[in-house]
Amino acid sequence: MRNTLSFSVALVGFLLAVSPVRAHHAFAAEYDGKKQVHLEGVVTQMEWINPHTWIHIDVTEPDGKVTSWMVEGGSPNILLRRGFNKGSLEKGQKIAVDGFQAKDGSNRANGSNITYPDGKKLFLGSSGTGAPADPGPGK
Amino acid sequence: MRQRVLTSLMVLAAVLASVLLVTLPVIGQAPATKAKKSAYKPPKLPWGDPDLQGLWPGTDLIEVPLQRDAKAGERVEVTEEEFAQRQAKAERTAENDRVAYVAKDSKVGINPPGYWLEHGRPQKITSLVVDPPNGRIPELTDLAKQKAAQAKQAKQGHGPNETWEDQSLYDRCITRGVMGSILPVIYNNGTQIVQGPGYVAIRYEMIHETKIIPLDGRPHPSSNVKSYMGDARGHWEGNTLVIETTNFLGDKNGIGLNGGGTPHSADMVLTEKWTRTSPDMMEYTATINDPKTWVRPWTVRMPLRLNPEFPLYEYACHEGNYAMFNMLKGARADEKAAEEAAKAGKK
Repeated sequence: MRNTLSFSVALVGFLLAVSPVRAHHAFAAEYDGKKQVHLEGVVTQMEWINPHTWIHIDVTEPDGKVTSWMVEGGSPNILLRRGFNKGSLEKGQKIAVDGFQAKDGSNRANGSNITYPDGKKLFLGSSGTGAPADPGPGK
Repeated sequence: MRQRVLTSLMVLAAVLASVLLVTLPVIGQAPATKAKKSAYKPPKLPWGDPDLQGLWPGTDLIEVPLQRDAKAGERVEVTEEEFAQRQAKAERTAENDRVAYVAKDSKVGINPPGYWLEHGRPQKITSLVVDPPNGRIPELTDLAKQKAAQAKQAKQGHGPNETWEDQSLYDRCITRGVMGSILPVIYNNGTQIVQGPGYVAIRYEMIHETKIIPLDGRPHPSSNVKSYMGDARGHWEGNTLVIETTNFLGDKNGIGLNGGGTPHSADMVLTEKWTRTSPDMMEYTATINDPKTWVRPWTVRMPLRLNPEFPLYEYACHEGNYAMFNMLKGARADEKAAEEAAKAGKK
C-alpha cells in the first residue's frame, strides 16, 4: 500500500511534467467520461494493429448472458519493444479492464487499467495508471 | 594595367566580403546552431560515401520541448540543479514503470494511460529550436496570421468531427510531413537511414513514411509537382549529408509535433543536415526557410543516439484505424444526445 501511495504521488508530478502530449487521437471524442466500466472477461482475440492494439473479450453478465467487448490498448510497436509478443496474451486468458465506454453506447472501451484477475498489470511500464486522480497524459 | 586589374579584384573581393557579412546572419545560423566541426571520421561505405546507416530514434529527446521556456532566455542548457531535477524525475518514472500491481483505490482516466508511452533520457538542452537564439519559433508573417484567422473563422460553429476531413492528416494515417515525422513525440519515434550508391533513404516509423533522396545533383521537378513530403535532393559536405527539400504541398502540415502547428506554405525550403559526431551519436539539424509563413528562417537541432535495439516495426495504419470511425460515431452520439435533451427541454 505504501508503495502504491508513493507511486501515485510521483505519478502526478510525472503527468504535470510531461504535459502536453498528443496521442494518435482524441480520446474524449471517442469515449464517454461519464460511462466508466469495469469488465472482467476472457480474451477471444488480440488484434496487433496500428495505430493501436485492440483486445477482444467475452464478458459473462450475472444473468449468464455473454457480451463481446473491444478494448483499445497501446501501439503494438511499444508493446513489442517492452517485450510483449503474440504469445503473451493467449485466447482464454482472464483479464479485468477499467476504462470508459464508447460514446455511441457500443461495447467498446479504452483500456486504462488492464490487469490479470489479481490486479497484476498486463502491460508493465504502466506509470500512467493507479493514481487516485489520474487524468492520464495525452488528449 | 596590371595594377588596375589587381585593384579591381581587391574591390570586388571587398564587395563580396561585405555582401557575405551582411547576408550571412540572415541566411545562416546563429552561433549556437553552428555544427561543431567534428573530429570524428565516420566509416566509409564500399562506394566511398560516409556511413550514416542505422537506427536513430528520437526517443531520448521526448521530454525536451520544441520551443524554449521564455524564462530561459538564450540559455541553451539547463542549470545543474534543473538537470538534477530531470534526472530525479526520470528515476521516479522508471520506478513507477516497475510497479507491478494497480493500486486498489486507483481511479482511471479517459486519456491514454502510461503504458502507451515511451520515455526519454534526461537532457541538458533547453529546447529543440536553437535558432533564433531565444529558442522560440519566429513570429508569423502577416499572410500566415491572416490564413490562421481565416481557418479559425471557417471552423466557427463547426464541430471537430463532423466529417473525416475535420480530422488531422495524422489522425487519418495519411502523413505527418517531414518535420512532423522526425520531431520526437510520445511514442514510435523510430528513424532509420539506409544507403545505396547514389541514394539515401530515411524511414520514419509512425505513419510509415520513407523519404528517398537522390545524391546525383539532378534538379528538383517543376514547381507544379507537389507532395506532403516534398522533393528531396542530397549532397555531401565533407562527412555531412545535406538534404534540401522543396515542392511541398502548402497549408497542410505544420512543423510542430506530428505535423501539427501552423501549416507551412508550398514555398518552404527545408535544409536538413546529418553529421555523425561519434560512433553512436548523430547531430541532426533542420532549417526551415518559408518567408511566406515565418518572418525569418529557424533551425531545430537534435542529438540522436544510435540504438540498434529500436527496430522499426511495420506500421500499416489505415487498416486498423478504428479510432477515426469511433470519433465520428462519438460525435454523432453527442449530437443525438443534444437533440434529445433539447426535445426534453421543450416538453
